Amino acid sequence: MSDMFVITVRLCAGVLSTLLLLLSGSLASPPNFVLLFADDLGFGDLGSFGHPTSATPNLDRLAAAGLRFTDFYCTSAVCSPSRASLLTGRYQTRSGIYPGVLYPGSRGGLPLNETTIAEVLKPLGYATAAIGKWHLGFGANGTFLPTNQGFDHYLGIPYSHDMGPCKNLTCFPPDVKCYGWCDVGTVFVPLMHDDAIEQQPVDFLNLERSYSDFAVNFITTSANKKQPFFLYYPAHHTHYPQFAGPDAAGKSLRGPFGDSLLELDNTIGNLLETLEKTGVINNTLVFFTADNGPELMRMSRGGNSGLLKCGKGTTYEGGMREPAVAFWQGTIKPGVTHELASTLDILPTITKLAGAKLPPVMLDGVDLTEVLINNGKSERESMMFYPTDPSEQYGLFALRLGKYKAHFYTRGAAHSATTPDHDCPGSARLKAFDPPLIFDLEADPSENYPLNVTESPEVQAVLEQIKKAKQQFESSMVFGASQIGKGSDPNLEPCCSPQCSPKPSCCRCS
Amino acid sequence: MAALTFTILCALVCCSLTEKQLNASSPNIIIMLMDDMGWGDLGVLGQPSKETPNLDAMATQGMLLPNFYTANPLCSPSRAALLTGRLPIRNGFYTTNAHARNAYTPQEIVGGISKDEILLPQMLKKKGYASKIIGKWHLGHRPQYLPLENGFEEWFGAPNCHFGPYDSSNRPNIPVYNNSEMVGRYYEEFVIDRKTGESNLTEIYLMEGLDFIYRQTMAQRPFFLYWAPDATHAPVYASKHFLGRSQRGRYGDAVMELDYSVGQILSWLQTLSIANNTFVFFTSDNGAALMSGINGGSNGPFLCGKETTFEGGMREPAIAWWPGHIKEGTVSFQLANVMDLFTTSLSLAGLSPPDDRILDGLDLTPVFLSYSHKLKDRPIFYYRGNELMAVRLGQYKAHYWTWSNSVEELKQGINFCPGQDVPGVTTHTQTQHTLQPLVFHLGQDPGEKFPISVLTKEYQDVLLRISPIVEHHKRTLIAGVPQLNMCDLAVMNWAPAGCEKLDKCLKAPASDPWKCDWSH
Repeated sequence: MSDMFVITVRLCAGVLSTLLLLLSGSLASPPNFVLLFADDLGFGDLGSFGHPTSATPNLDRLAAAGLRFTDFYCTSAVCSPSRASLLTGRYQTRSGIYPGVLYPGSRGGLPLNETTIAEVLKPLGYATAAIGKWHLGFGANGTFLPTNQGFDHYLGIPYSHDMGPCKNLTCFPPDVKCYGWCDVGTVFVPLMHDDAIEQQPVDFLNLERSYSDFAVNFITTSANKKQPFFLYYPAHHTHYPQFAGPDAAGKSLRGPFGDSLLELDNTIGNLLETLEKTGVINNTLVFFTADNGPELMRMSRGGNSGLLKCGKGTTYEGGMREPAVAFWQGTIKPGVTHELASTLDILPTITKLAGAKLPPVMLDGVDLTEVLINNGKSERESMMFYPTDPSEQYGLFALRLGKYKAHFYTRGAAHSATTPDHDCPGSARLKAFDPPLIFDLEADPSENYPLNVTESPEVQAVLEQIKKAKQQFESSMVFGASQIGKGSDPNLEPCCSPQCSPKPSCCRCS
Repeated sequence: MAALTFTILCALVCCSLTEKQLNASSPNIIIMLMDDMGWGDLGVLGQPSKETPNLDAMATQGMLLPNFYTANPLCSPSRAALLTGRLPIRNGFYTTNAHARNAYTPQEIVGGISKDEILLPQMLKKKGYASKIIGKWHLGHRPQYLPLENGFEEWFGAPNCHFGPYDSSNRPNIPVYNNSEMVGRYYEEFVIDRKTGESNLTEIYLMEGLDFIYRQTMAQRPFFLYWAPDATHAPVYASKHFLGRSQRGRYGDAVMELDYSVGQILSWLQTLSIANNTFVFFTSDNGAALMSGINGGSNGPFLCGKETTFEGGMREPAIAWWPGHIKEGTVSFQLANVMDLFTTSLSLAGLSPPDDRILDGLDLTPVFLSYSHKLKDRPIFYYRGNELMAVRLGQYKAHYWTWSNSVEELKQGINFCPGQDVPGVTTHTQTQHTLQPLVFHLGQDPGEKFPISVLTKEYQDVLLRISPIVEHHKRTLIAGVPQLNMCDLAVMNWAPAGCEKLDKCLKAPASDPWKCDWSH
């Protein structure tokens, strides 16, 4: 066989397969999306991101067969704001999900006029479901629940699972009580199905199994109906208090935290298996990341930010840089990308891949399709770091432009207490820097060695660019009315037996 | 007809069998040992920089060992342990000049590897292996201690670290050897530009490696290649092509070049069709040198680094690669160490380990070849000089002594644990905990930040398990004669073999030995 012949055959095969791909692309239904969002999981918590003992076989499989991001950021170092940005593609300051987080009795929530990813996809006929930790509001009559934000179905706890007394609840089999007290003086944590309370208090030992079954059922039903689907699974794992059912408890080398992570990993395994079985795996983008950095104050029961500085609650890298993996068999080539990307970019990317319309509002995300499909460049040039209590007075605490990050303010956080680094705990008070502290994150991802601004003209030039980017961004920023500032009303807390007394402890499903 | 077919079949089967047996009895062995590279320097172990695509690929084609240790947090003892399969306290690579001090082989050291020790290449020779060391030796630079006196057939590299340049009157520059004769000196014939960080040494070491592999393959001889480049040790260097290419500065450039070289060696094995018959192991001699600041490596989530017996000092990146034998993309949590490489290499070569001495290594072939998925329970001993500082058993580590470095050194800006001041743990005096060891659960707390309370049952249970092991180890320990106690300017590399041919002999001062001063 001559070389020429071989080349011709290969060329033909190449053209043919491209044609087939195009054909199948145009004929096949729009892609499905599975968005997995872990809770308080740090940059260094997965085996594929350098944790020496985590057991995450399914996430490792996703990472090995998918695209792993090394420079991926969430928008806030605490839960609610980070979730608001993920679902809207906008910084939390625009939607008003600040300061701090929402509580069971919060009056506010993600404003209904914000457009979520689910709402972007609904007009295209997508089936949509949310499972797990919502944390974007409950409100009077469940105003802010997922079912009012574009999701057809919901099964989950509408906020963090430590936002109710847990001292006497069982977190591990056979009857290991949850560690600590969690939030007292509020109702027991409920499990909601759509807008109805199904359990109160929730049964932690069977919770993950319920989620997994629900998700498997949702995927199977949608796939059988040949309906494109969007599954949003914000997990409770690995947030405090860690819990796990019999399939994961005691099965990791890493104690309660490792078991909690392993239980999430098991569910991801079930989802992948279902995608395979139902034949939609080649038409489904699976994206995994987490809401904010590790809660270091939990010590060996908390997460790990790897080589990054500090964790949850801070605007250091450990607070907001997250593990992220994109998996799409046959479409995304396995590998690692060092492109700058963020949770903000998920909405524009999904919109593009589905062929949907972008919401007609100011978006902060960019389309990552090039990065995902062609291992190309990210359109994202900068990342903004707001503190957990953003205000127009202080503005940005930090800004990353290319490989440089400038801190205008730094502050520790109680969530990051107990680390040996004195900059991390809450006792590290607010400090202003002028000129800002500048780090080269490529050379010094741990933010240990600030660059010399006064003596280096190169760094000064960078600083000028950073200042310009900051000014530009801040002038475009319109702070939405604070939803969390609307305060709480105990009467709004979800209660399975509304007429009971004394509240809140009487709120239980019989 | 049937008979003929049978004969042919038989011949085929027999042939393939013999071939298999031959292969199985003497696979080639390559140990790649990096210098001061940290656990966290590889992409596959969480480094966000962009320097190690080849090592990451090696891990996905082979086995990653996240629980792999060196025997000592400093170069010379670590390397001596690798080649002898014995703890430095046994093979003599330690000092008794002061308590718990790291010692190594600078060029004023009088000692070196003892004649009583059996080195891996000496053993492999029995099975006809050709052995070569490329790069840093570090087991003594005086003639009797050099590689060719200790089982290696070939050597290209230097006996000491590439510190310098020196002025040749107070201190000679370190010689570079080709086999038993020097072919030049660092900063002279073998240039390392201290200003730019440029040196083509890694390039030379790569070419030497490829050449050796090729020659042995052509000669159909099994080989052992000990590839020990030192580009990531201070002063860090890289070839022109790699300088400025990484985004992590000069250290990143060096990592990038080493990664490229590893990739070249692996693909060379594929090209020569010997990959299926070559066991390759990648690791490093000790943790990243955090005292070098931004010019040092990363130990990922671990505490402190080089010189210390915290995890950052002794846990090492480790990848085993052997296509067709080691299942690709696997991770083994087996507790393992460099001394296992001695025992494992012997096992691969079909040799029994020497039975006249205590060996500290395990045979890891069941782990690599997946004969057994059960992890073998074994302790890891953390020595600093003559002191057993800590012991790991399962997920638990007990510290009997803690020390980072002295307050005086810290005041001079030498920090072994930058940004990681854990009260009562990263102590600046040698602190004894033998009556009540500090215990950590490394599974839950790899960063050694949260000691387990002594009041818990967990603590008591751990001690009940670890104490007898420590007691047994200490009771049965026969310490080797310390080789790193004496220093003498007269023994420096004044006139190494081959210096006459190059007109590079220098005059040694009169002998005036003293007890070496090991400050940490």
